[in-house]
Amino acid sequence: MIHEHSIRAAALAPELGWVGLALLLPLLSACACALCAALRVKSKAPAIITSLALAGSFVIILTAYFAYTGPVEVPIFQWMSFQWGTQSFQSFTADFALYIDSLTLFWMLFVTGLGTLISIYASEYMESDRGGGYCRFFFGISVFLFSMSALVLGDNLVMLYLGWEGVGLASYLLIGYNYERPSAVAAAKKAFIMNRIGDLGLALGIFMLWANYGTLQYSELFAAMNNGGQSSVDWDLSVIPFLLMLGAFGKSAQIPLFTWLPDAMEGPTPVSALIHAATMVTAGVYLIARLYPFFELHPEALATVAWIGGSTALVAATIGMAQYDIKRVFAYSTISQLGYMFLGLGVGTSFGACYHTLTHAFFKALLFLTAGAIMHGFAGQLDLRKLSGLRQLPGWRIVSWTMFVGCLWLAAFPYTAAFFSKDAILLQALTSERGDFRFLGWLGLFTAALTAYYTFRVWFRVCAGPLHYEGGSEGHHETPAGHETPVASHGTVASSVQPAPASHSAREGHSVFHPHAPRLAINGVLVILAIGALLVGVPAYDHVFAHRENWAQSMIAGSSAYQGAGIEDAHAGHDAHQATILGMDAHTGLTVVGSTASIGGIVIAWFFHLRNRKAADQLRAALMRRYWIGWLPICMENKWYVDEVFHVFFRLPMWVGGQILSFGDRHFLDGVLVDGLAKIPLGLGRLFRPLYGGALQGYAVTMAGGIALVIAWVTWIWVRGFN
Amino acid sequence: MNAALDIGVASGFTLAVPAEISIALMISALLFTLGIIGFLCRRNMIIMFLCTELMFQGAALAMVSFSRMRMDVSGQVFVIFILTVAAAEAALALGLVVLLYRRRETLNADAWSELGES
Amino acid sequence: MLMIWISILFPVLAACVVALGSAKSARLTALVGTSVSLAALAIFAWNFPAWNTAEHFPSVSGPAWIPAAGITLSVGFDTVSLLLALLTAFLMPLCILGSFTAITQRSKEYYGWFLLLGSSIILAFAARDAILFYIGYEFTLVPMTLIIAIYGGTERRVAALKMFLYTFLGSMFMLASLLYVAWELRITSGAWNFDIDSLIDASVRLPAANQYWLFAALMVGFAVKVPLFPLHTWLPLAHDQAPTAGSVILASAMLKLGTYGNYRFALPMAPAGGAELMTVVAVLAIIAILYGSLICWVQTDAKKLVAYSSVAHLGLCMLGLFALNPMGAEGAVFYMVNHGLSTGALFFCIGMFYERYHTKDTDVLGGLAKRMPIWACFMVLFTLASIGLPGLNGFIGEFLCLGGAFTAEHDGQSGYPGVLGPWYAIVAGLGLIFSAMYLLILLGKLVWGPLREPHDGATHHPHVSGVPSLSPDLCFREIAILTPIAIACIWLGIQPKPMLDAIAPCAARMLTHYPQEVRRHLEHTSAPELTTTTSVNDHERATNE
Repeated sequence: MIHEHSIRAAALAPELGWVGLALLLPLLSACACALCAALRVKSKAPAIITSLALAGSFVIILTAYFAYTGPVEVPIFQWMSFQWGTQSFQSFTADFALYIDSLTLFWMLFVTGLGTLISIYASEYMESDRGGGYCRFFFGISVFLFSMSALVLGDNLVMLYLGWEGVGLASYLLIGYNYERPSAVAAAKKAFIMNRIGDLGLALGIFMLWANYGTLQYSELFAAMNNGGQSSVDWDLSVIPFLLMLGAFGKSAQIPLFTWLPDAMEGPTPVSALIHAATMVTAGVYLIARLYPFFELHPEALATVAWIGGSTALVAATIGMAQYDIKRVFAYSTISQLGYMFLGLGVGTSFGACYHTLTHAFFKALLFLTAGAIMHGFAGQLDLRKLSGLRQLPGWRIVSWTMFVGCLWLAAFPYTAAFFSKDAILLQALTSERGDFRFLGWLGLFTAALTAYYTFRVWFRVCAGPLHYEGGSEGHHETPAGHETPVASHGTVASSVQPAPASHSAREGHSVFHPHAPRLAINGVLVILAIGALLVGVPAYDHVFAHRENWAQSMIAGSSAYQGAGIEDAHAGHDAHQATILGMDAHTGLTVVGSTASIGGIVIAWFFHLRNRKAADQLRAALMRRYWIGWLPICMENKWYVDEVFHVFFRLPMWVGGQILSFGDRHFLDGVLVDGLAKIPLGLGRLFRPLYGGALQGYAVTMAGGIALVIAWVTWIWVRGFN
Repeated sequence: MNAALDIGVASGFTLAVPAEISIALMISALLFTLGIIGFLCRRNMIIMFLCTELMFQGAALAMVSFSRMRMDVSGQVFVIFILTVAAAEAALALGLVVLLYRRRETLNADAWSELGES
Repeated sequence: MLMIWISILFPVLAACVVALGSAKSARLTALVGTSVSLAALAIFAWNFPAWNTAEHFPSVSGPAWIPAAGITLSVGFDTVSLLLALLTAFLMPLCILGSFTAITQRSKEYYGWFLLLGSSIILAFAARDAILFYIGYEFTLVPMTLIIAIYGGTERRVAALKMFLYTFLGSMFMLASLLYVAWELRITSGAWNFDIDSLIDASVRLPAANQYWLFAALMVGFAVKVPLFPLHTWLPLAHDQAPTAGSVILASAMLKLGTYGNYRFALPMAPAGGAELMTVVAVLAIIAILYGSLICWVQTDAKKLVAYSSVAHLGLCMLGLFALNPMGAEGAVFYMVNHGLSTGALFFCIGMFYERYHTKDTDVLGGLAKRMPIWACFMVLFTLASIGLPGLNGFIGEFLCLGGAFTAEHDGQSGYPGVLGPWYAIVAGLGLIFSAMYLLILLGKLVWGPLREPHDGATHHPHVSGVPSLSPDLCFREIAILTPIAIACIWLGIQPKPMLDAIAPCAARMLTHYPQEVRRHLEHTSAPELTTTTSVNDHERATNE
């Protein structure tokens, strides 16, 4: 199974140490934000510092991209390294060093770029928290970006693990940003712990790699792989991909570890955008892409990835169809799209997966930020039944139309960037030699139709139709209760651009609710993101119309993600296969079928949610009435009860076990065994207590008796003889 | 001199004790026994204290006798020690008895039985 | 040498001054005493020449103390004991600082005993004579018992008594084993000698059966102190009842005497026994991890939770030690220091809110981030360090311990075979998830969430009159306690390399005899058809010795 790999060996390039600034800058800005918090800074300084630092990282990565010639390793400082011998397997090396190849750069470009945009957006979004959690928020953002950069740039798996847990920490801090809300605290905890489950898999995978190859540095690992590894553990090499996979599934919210991601929207919306688009959830895709050659150690490993990805895509899409909260719909769409990426990795097109990650990063950031703008403006209102026709509202046109762009992309409308990236994945699946992959491909197509439906369900409900809205119940959705300042704005005219605090009057009743439209920072970022979403399609257009090599493909092709047996990318070899779809040439066929799915989904959404909104409710009621299908909407609306299953099968037994053990520890181990043993000398003491009653003569009698006994004993020995 | 006191029946171990020494030993045993009996039977603390002194003297006499028998002075040295200690003890003990008497207005030893746990 | 004695004896001197001086000056004297001790040890460490070797320094043995019994006053450090002694000396002044407002009555005796406690722990780490070690090891019980019994909570007497008797009983086994080895040494060399290295040399020559029992006895002694799973019940009670500073020293320094004892005595003295019994200890360690974690999960008392988390964490440390390969041993030693820092700091944090609210019950108290933001920052940091977040100190030890257990395999490519393996690491690794669970639950209740205070309004006024009232959030003194620990946590997380390099030779020396003994053990147990070769090996071994 293990073929000849031709990953270019990495050169040592200490002179590229300046790339390390991409890590250092977010770290410094985190320190600066902490300092601001200590000094109780009330200005926007933390936001400015963070945005500048992240922009600086982006520029550095861009420079590195233009200076890129081949894979390099950049040592920075020695971290967790020591040795106990001179031979192989007698040292453990995990230095703080960078591994820069085209995959790294590809990833870092959108991570730092989107990170910068989101932090600019957040500078306006979070402004009502200035002096409160503002510094903490940007501290979290900086840590987030630092961790993600360490994860991607790291030269070895321990550094990847550092970033891996670091994004977990940052998400914990940011999801729990509104720490006084119990649901936010619970969501933060859930995110960290669910990630930890995956982290254990990753850690074990790392140990397994070390035990077999004696190194954890990528370049050495890839080189050692050619030698086949020398297994020294009971386990076979082939468990490595499965262990790593567990880590990836935890971080990227795949079945069964996906329930933390929807809950993660308890955090402020920019955080959701950051988690969903750029930083956190793509880490799993990155891990598998980075260690792609190792996923061939077991023939079914990639198939497992494909199956998990495909089924996650479907399940998450079904849940997304039944949610009423805009952010929740988008959250499930993220899980679903991640499922596509894993499907792509599983069926063998790491290019498709990575390209889809890129396009997804842009349109999902866009969608979340528009949702955030709505939430911001409508006092926390996110129920898509209570918002309608926003595009007619002055000041909300940019939001509406950028959201439209995002929705088109998410729905993979023909000839958008996401259409091509999804196309790459599905093409690979549908033209596979394996029947189950082809089945997954059709499943993916079906899911694509569902995606188009639920995406446009949101847009048609919220942005189209007659103008109608209700404010949310929160003063400001992320404002701690104590921060709210009662502002009397009775009767003020609903102007399109109002000063931010003046409209926080949601409590005054719906009749006088005035949404406040976003200003420059939010609108600007939305527009840039929409343009970015258009631009990420350029490589695909380049390929399809100008027949040049796809830029993304060339980036992936130069890295470890493109190596390995059995990988024949559909785009790489047109003539390598003569597969057909529905009797047509594979490319044409997929374009037709994919477009049909997308447009069909949109049309259905249009019918149910714009043309005749009552029909949707009637359909739901009709479904619920029929017992043989009624369970479907119920399960979909309740997220297939995955949380409940976790609770019943894991948390509850463990809690009960803890109570039992705690009781046993106190009453059995300590009470019976330890105290019981201690009772033995006590009992012996009780036995002799009457001899010491307190009367002086009693003691004397005891003494005399003792002496008499000793004398009797001695005499007995004497009389009996000494032998 | 030849009157040997043959006690060890089975062992064949014999202890030759001259007659005058054995008389002294008997007296010492008598003193000790008297002391014990007195100590156990009387409740008056002064009498009890005197009885302990009696036991002391019994032990001292035995030591002197053995010292004489072995022609070894260390036994007599011990006796000097015992006498000194007994003298010091008498001073202390009588002082204590006086103190105890002041507390309870009685010399009965049973009045002081708080040492017992029960 | 001089510096070592200064660091041991200066606190004793200060204790004398405290005993003679006034109650008011006691705490300052104590602070000076412990600071001088720390400074002396720091100077010693700065000039320590043996950082990268496995040597003791000073290498000469000290003056005779009881010549007839061969007991000498020899002290000296290798890097592991130096690190642990530094940890103790580092925490002592902080503990004194932390007691300023907590101890209001009989403070003179308190500071006196505390100084003696620090001295005896450092003596135990520094001793190179087994009897001297024993004296330091045992004497810690006296001040600690008094500190718990006088200054502790409502059940302090029971807790103190239980701690004393339990650990004392354990150390009897240890003392008996040490005397036995010394006796064997006397038979061969003709004179009593308690020098630790000589004892080790003598005991590794003992027959395997003797080593087996020797190891078992030593293990029982040290396992009580660690504490290992079934012998741990004294710990939660003692922690629960001890005053804050007492808990800190108990968790950070005294428990380390147990793991240090394993490192210094049990493992090197009886390699044949260790090779036989490593599975047993490893299983107990894993049980400790899961058992402690599950109990933590349902604890509502913050201090008891951290106490049980110590049981779990030290279980992981023991697992690393008994992986019997350099990776695990390295991780275990690193973990000892880390656990001392992060758990000690957690006890400080708990003590700080306890002083303000007089409750540790997380059902009553919560959401303190609102009231005490600075405290919350520290609490979150130390909790994360305890969880083992990479970039903080806890991670390094945890990762290496688990890695050691994972790679402790039959073939032993690293030159060190073992009998643990992936399954052990997986089950122990569940502890990683559990530790995140219970510590985040603690954080979620105590730090986050809506503010819950036990008695409305007048929360930050201590009930004892005449005590200076504490500010709602941490005061400067309290920040000064936590900041050095926080810096140490972060620094060790980012720059573990110097310490790892320093530990490595010592860890390797501890394991000198293990590859051979473990291999023998494996051949005995797993391959009956190899008996002929084994007996040949036995024969060779006999002739070699």
